[in-house]
Parts: sequence; C-alpha cells; structure tokens
Amino acid sequence: MKARILVVDDDEALAEMIGIVLRNDGFEPVFCADGGQALDVFRSSKPDLVLLDLMLPGSDGIEVCRNIRSESDVPIVMLTAKSDTSDVVRGLESGADDYVPKPFKPAELVARVRARLRPGEQKAPETLKIADVTIDVAGHMVTRGNERISLTPLEFDLLVALARKPWQVFTRELLLEQVWGYRHAADTRLVNVHVQRLRSKIERDPEAPEVVLTVRGVGYKAGA
Amino acid sequence: MVSAIKQVPEPRPGGSAVPGGSVGRGTAEETERPTTANTARTSSGTEQPAKQETGPGVGNSHAGLAEQGEQAAGPDSPADTSGPERVTLTWIRTRTRIWARRALILALRVFRLVVTGLRHIGPGFRLLWRAILKRWRRSLEFRTVLTTLVLAMVSFMVVGAYLSNQIANNLFQERLAQAESETRYNVKQVQDTFDGAQVTDQSSVITLVYDTLNAVEGRGSVIQRRYVFEAMPEQTKPRNRWVESRASDQLTIRVIPPELRKAVQQSGKDQYWASMEFPVGTEDRPGIAVGNKVTFNGTVYELYLIYDLNTAQKTLNEIQNVLWAGGAALVLMIGGVAWYVTRNVVSPVSHAAVVSEKLAAGQLQERMVVKGEDEMARLGASFNHMAASLQEQITQLATLSQMQQRFVSDVSHELRTPLTTVRMAAEVLYDARDEFDPINKRSAELLYNQVERFQSLLSDLLEISRFDAGAAMLDAEPQDIFQVVAGVVEGAAPVAAQYGSEVRLNSRQKSIVVEMDSRRIDRIIRNLLLNALEHGEGKPVHISVGANHEAVAVCVRDYGIGMTQAEAARVFDRFWRADPARARTTGGSGLGLSIAAEDTKLHGGWLQAWGRKGSGSNFRLTLPLRQGGTIIKSPLQLEPADIGFSATTSERRLLVLETPERLKPASESSQDSPLDDGMAATQDNNSDPGTKGPTAPAERGAQPAQSREARDGQSPSDGVSEGEAP
Repeated sequence: MKARILVVDDDEALAEMIGIVLRNDGFEPVFCADGGQALDVFRSSKPDLVLLDLMLPGSDGIEVCRNIRSESDVPIVMLTAKSDTSDVVRGLESGADDYVPKPFKPAELVARVRARLRPGEQKAPETLKIADVTIDVAGHMVTRGNERISLTPLEFDLLVALARKPWQVFTRELLLEQVWGYRHAADTRLVNVHVQRLRSKIERDPEAPEVVLTVRGVGYKAGA
Repeated sequence: MVSAIKQVPEPRPGGSAVPGGSVGRGTAEETERPTTANTARTSSGTEQPAKQETGPGVGNSHAGLAEQGEQAAGPDSPADTSGPERVTLTWIRTRTRIWARRALILALRVFRLVVTGLRHIGPGFRLLWRAILKRWRRSLEFRTVLTTLVLAMVSFMVVGAYLSNQIANNLFQERLAQAESETRYNVKQVQDTFDGAQVTDQSSVITLVYDTLNAVEGRGSVIQRRYVFEAMPEQTKPRNRWVESRASDQLTIRVIPPELRKAVQQSGKDQYWASMEFPVGTEDRPGIAVGNKVTFNGTVYELYLIYDLNTAQKTLNEIQNVLWAGGAALVLMIGGVAWYVTRNVVSPVSHAAVVSEKLAAGQLQERMVVKGEDEMARLGASFNHMAASLQEQITQLATLSQMQQRFVSDVSHELRTPLTTVRMAAEVLYDARDEFDPINKRSAELLYNQVERFQSLLSDLLEISRFDAGAAMLDAEPQDIFQVVAGVVEGAAPVAAQYGSEVRLNSRQKSIVVEMDSRRIDRIIRNLLLNALEHGEGKPVHISVGANHEAVAVCVRDYGIGMTQAEAARVFDRFWRADPARARTTGGSGLGLSIAAEDTKLHGGWLQAWGRKGSGSNFRLTLPLRQGGTIIKSPLQLEPADIGFSATTSERRLLVLETPERLKPASESSQDSPLDDGMAATQDNNSDPGTKGPTAPAERGAQPAQSREARDGQSPSDGVSEGEAP
C-alpha cells in the first residue's frame, strides 16, 4: 500500500516538484495550497504523513500544525525556509516531529519522510519501566498507575529509546540517529524541544524531571 | 577707741591734697593707656591657652605694674611692655585656665569614649569611617554641608574669642577705674584719720588703726574691698610703733605681688595697681590690688586695697556661656541652611544623574521633572530634549534593524522556495543524466553543481546579513569540543580524500567541555579545515586542541602554499582572496572565514591567522570555556613550533615564551580541563608525542555510561588521522 502524504504548500511549483519526487519514490501525494483548507483536506484525505510549509497564506503553518496535532498523532514534517532558531523551535513546539530546511535535496526529503513513516517493526511483547511510568512497547501505550498517557509516535519512540538502555547516557546526536533517523549530525534542537514536550506529558513536575534526566554537557538518560 | 574713729576727718572736697590731685591726673592718662595696650595683647592671650594653662602661678608671678604720674607718660616705653597690659592678661589667663581645664576634661572624656568605643566596635568604626569617606567623595551635599559647618565653626570661634576678650577687657577696665578712684578716696580717708589721730597709749592706737582699716572694708554684709596693711621694711623702728601689719580676714602680705610692693616701696606717694589672686575660703579669686603708702606716727605703711573681680568673672562666664551656646546654635542653623540650599541645588543634579543612568541602562522613556524657569529647569528641559532625540534615534535604529531582520527573513524565504524547486529539479535531472546525450548530460551536471554553489553562496550571504543586522543569536550549551571536531573531520573526509591530504588530530586531552553554540563552532572548524585542505597542496593538515583553565583552542595547520603576513591580516575580509587569479576550485563563497570570524566574535573568542609563504598557514580559534568568560592567553600558540629556528627574532621569542606551556605535564593540563559538569577526562599517552608520561585516568564523579560515552565520542578522532586518507 502506498503511503499517502499531504503536502501543504502555497508555492505550486515547489508542491509539484515535491509531488514528482514523492511519486518517484512510491508515495501518494495529496496537495493543499491554502492553510485555511488544510484541516479539511487532512480530514478528507487521511494522510499517513503531513509535509507542511511554515509560511502559508490564510492560516499560519504553525496554526495548521497545532490544529492537526490536536486531533491526530500523524507525523508532521515541516518545510521551513526560516532557519532562525525561534521559528524552528516554535514549529517544533506546535507539534511538528521534524523539519526540513529549504533548500533541501530530494533525497533528504525522502529520507525524512521515510524515517517518520517507518513501519512499526514487529515488536515482541515488551514492557519497559522508567521511574513510575510503564511502557507497553507493542501496544504503543504508556501508563502511570492506571492513568494512560497519550504520546505522539515520535515521543513514544524517544521514550522507548531511552527506556531500553537505562544505563546509557544518550547524546543528542545519538538520539537524532536512533529516533529521527539522521545519519549525519543535524539540529540538536529537535531533541531539546521534543524532550521538553515529552517531559510536559509524562513528568509529574516538568521542572524537576524524574523520567527523562538531563546529563549536563552530554545528553539525556532514563530515570531510575 | 571710739573717739579715735570719730577723729577720722572727712575727705577734703576740693581735692586740694597734692598727692590726690596728682593721682587723679595720672589716672586720667592711665585709663587710656592700658585699654589700647590690652587690646593689643588680647589676641596673643587667646592664641596660647594651653601654654598659659600649664604655666604655674601665672597671676602672681607675672603681675604687671601700673605706674602712675609722670612715669606713665610714655605709652611705648620699655617699662610698659611688662606693665599694665600684663595685668589684664593675667586675668584672661585665669579664665583661660578654667576653660582649658574644662576643655581638657571634656577632651579626656571624649578620648576615653572613643578608645572604649574603638575597642568594642573597632571594625564597625572603621566601616563607619570608610562610609563617611565614601560619602565625602561621592556626595556633594555632604561635602558642602560639612565644609560649611567647619568654616562656620572656625569663624564663629574667631569672632567669639574676640568678643569675649573685648567684653572681658571692658569689664576689667571698668572695675579698675572704679578700684583706683575708690582706693584714692579710702587711702585719703585713712591718711586723714591717721593724721588727725592722737597717739596716746598702745591699745587706743591699735584700736584706732584697726577701726580705720576695718572701715575701709565698707559697710554692709558684703566686703567691698579687702586690705593689707604692712609697715614698710628697712626703716628705723620708733619706740611707740605698736602696729606692724594688719590685713582683712585670712590675707597676708604674701598675696601682694612683689613687683607691686617694690613699686609702692620705691615711689613717693603714687598709687600702683596689679592683678593678683587671693584666697577666699578654699578658692582663689581674681582681684586687683591697688597699693599706696600711708604714714602714721612717723612710720610709713604700705596699704593695699584688694578688689574682688569674682562678680565680673561670673558675669563674664555667663556672657561666654551665652555666647558659646548661641554660637553652637548658629553653627547648627548655618549647617541646616547649607544643607537646605545645597539640597535644593544638588537634588536636581542628582536627579539628572539618576535619570541619565536609567537612560544609559536602556530605559529610554525616563525624563527629568522640570519645575519653574530657573537654571535647573533649563538643564532639565535640555536634558529631556536630549533624551527625546536620543530615544527617537535609537527607536529609529531599532526599527531599521528590525526591518533589516525582517527583510533578511523574507528574502530568505522568498529566495529559498524557488531555489528548492530548482534544486530538486536539478537533482532529478542529474540523477537521470546517464540517460541523456553528452551535451544534455554535461548541462545537467553543470546545472546541479552551480545550483549547489548558488545555494551555499545564498546561505552565506543571508548568514552574513543576519550578523550585520545583529539578529544572530548565540544558542550556547556545554558540549564536548572533541565531538564537534571529530564530526567536522568525519564530514570533511571526502574532501580530504579528494585533495589527498591526511588530517591528523593532536591533543593531550580527551574531552574538553565548552559552553558553545555547537552549530556555529562546527561551521567555524569546518570552514578552517576546508580552507586548509584547499590551500594545503595535498600535504597533511594538523588539527590541535588544547585547553587551559579559562579557554580552549583549536588550531588548524596546513603545510601548503602559505601566505604573507599582510595576507594573513586580510584573510577574514569578505570576498577576499589571496590570489585572484587562482582557480576557485572548491567554489567557496568567499564568505566562509568572515562568517567564522563573526561566529567567533559572537562567542567572545579569538580567531587568528598566521602564515608564511611556502611554509603553510595556521588558524587558531580560541574560545572561553564559559560564556562571558575572558581569555587572557590562548592555550595553543598561533605561530607553529615546527617552523624551526630560521624564524626572526620576534618569532623566536614567541617560541621561547610558549615552550614551557607546551612542555607542561599532561596531568597538569588535565587539571585545567573543566570536569565540573560530570564529564570524564580520560587520558592516554599515545595521541600526542609531546605528552610526558602516562597519568592515572581521572574519572571524577563520572558514571560508567558517561565515561564510555566520552570514549565513544572520541573514537573517530583517533581513527581519522590516517584512516580517512585514500
């Protein structure tokens, strides 16, 4: 089955070009040129992944991202021409899983898309525990006591990566490689932002984390 | 006896008695003389109170003499200087002594207080003193008030002393004149009584004499004057001389100053006076003694009448007390006035200072309060005007800067979107180039390469303009610089392979955690490395990393064509190329080193270049270990040590200077490396030939996972040195 990808971009030439590249690699692109209609198109097309331009007429890309995230856990990859820290961080904070800065190479784009679309590997029933949080890997479920914690797939992957090796301190680069699928050094802010988002969901007090600990000067590790 | 008293004749009203007349004239002249003389001596009297205080028995031993009659004519005669003005002086001295005693007691008390206070609050006192000194330096108000107070006090003391002396002098002169005229009258009466007395038997004579003398004391309960009556020595003693001496209550002839006695004894019928002290009860009282001679029954007697100055002294004390109290109040009031006036003048100034400090701190909306139309108001108005125009300009600049940033951001987006399309299209074509005919294939290749170049140029330009707009933000966090360096070396491996250069990483340390924006540091080192590879002519490129306790340095050394000193100075200029004719092989934008320099500046670090034609070049990046830290000395030297001793003097000097640093044992440099953030500093002795001996691996506070992580992060750097070469 071809993965359906919603491309939200007002630049028709670029959208078309992205469409060509995606089709070439065996994806099925759906287009939307207007941020205002993005949510409707999203609902009707039910894509497996959204490619979203941050600068859109009608509605801000960040707004669209937030709206989609509010009703779905579908992976969102931002296309951004702004590499300014604040914009990237704002995009990630609004719910995007990853971003591709313009101008990007076709291979780069496809790699990002594939990384987010990784078919859930056949996971053996596996239960992990960090602090007082229980992770059911196969069931894609995180619970604290009887309370279920809802995480996006990316956040789930991040948590699982940390929980599988609780003795290891993960550098940001290592996490980028394992969770995002980057083979070369990329923007470590991705990790920072998603760790913060993850913490805001699973920590009792995000200011004093117990589940995802920071190791100053190195990276992160799972809490005891 | 009673009759003897009655025999005392009434004074002759016309004053026909020659002595009396002559005395009267003498007094008329005399009254003026001491006044001026005393005034002249007043100041000297007040100038040396301490000295007078210590002088014993001043009043008696220095009693001056007032001569009357013909001798009194010359006011400036030598006899004068030791004469009547001294008398006043004595009196002043007496007072001074009392005051000095009081002052001494007060001073002693204050001193004791200060000493005990110091013992108890020594440090506190020093602090207070320092605070006062600081206040003096920093507060115009404090300084003005204090100066005014001190000056007012000094002026009041001068004026007060003058007034007090003037009053004392006048009081004394008045009393003296009175004393002289009274003496004259009384002496005359006594003489008249004696002259008219009938010398019969001893007891009646004694009674007569005693009664006559007692009458001199005056009627009433208060003794108006005291007397000392003494037969003059060295005269033949007549048979019927029954009275030798007589004096009021406890007095004896010893209280009379010898000089006065001498003067009285030596003169004829003249009247002399002197200041003196005499005992009343237990206290000594100041007084004036006026002496004359009387004759009784053929014997010449000295008769001294002593006038008490105690009342005058008391009046004077009272006046002085009032004077000092008034003076103190006046000084305080002057202080208050000075404080008020200074405050009025200074407070707008200090207000202006506060406002300008706030303005300088960026609170541009701060303004001064303007009241009235005086100079201060004008100052305030012009200050506000200045602040307003400053604010306007700064706001304008800020707006411009914002516009620039916005423009950069917009251009970035607007250019990048079509560029992305072009690039993707070019890549699609490039990927399919094997299906094209040779011309189209080459075109696709050119298109692809140039789009790449265009893109890098564009991003460099945007980066530079972001620096220019001040929009570049430092996103610093502690990270191991070796990870960054290793990443760069790894990333540049294909380029190194292309040039056939070997990249070698030298360091004694294994991990140096630096607070930095790793994205920017990565870019700097990548730029330096690519630059070195480009100009390295296939020779090895050495990267050295070193740290001291404040900074970390990364040196990128190549052994290629090198550059001159002048070229090294220009190497960070935008679009500058050492040799314009040289082929732009790697297609760099010409902005790489400029951006590197800007990135370094953002970190508060140094980026320096050294070069020599034919010997290659060396670029050194020095960063503070912590953001905001200062670099005093770079851990590595800019001029390579391997350049040899053919160097010039200055270079050799540099070499010598740096040698101890390089020979420092590894253990020492490991202590320099920051370990406080839990990063393990593991060491080995094979990475740097200069390392002296092995040292124990220091794994302070590091968890096993961490240390392994540190080694993991390090592993590429060991392999890279040779492994990446083709």
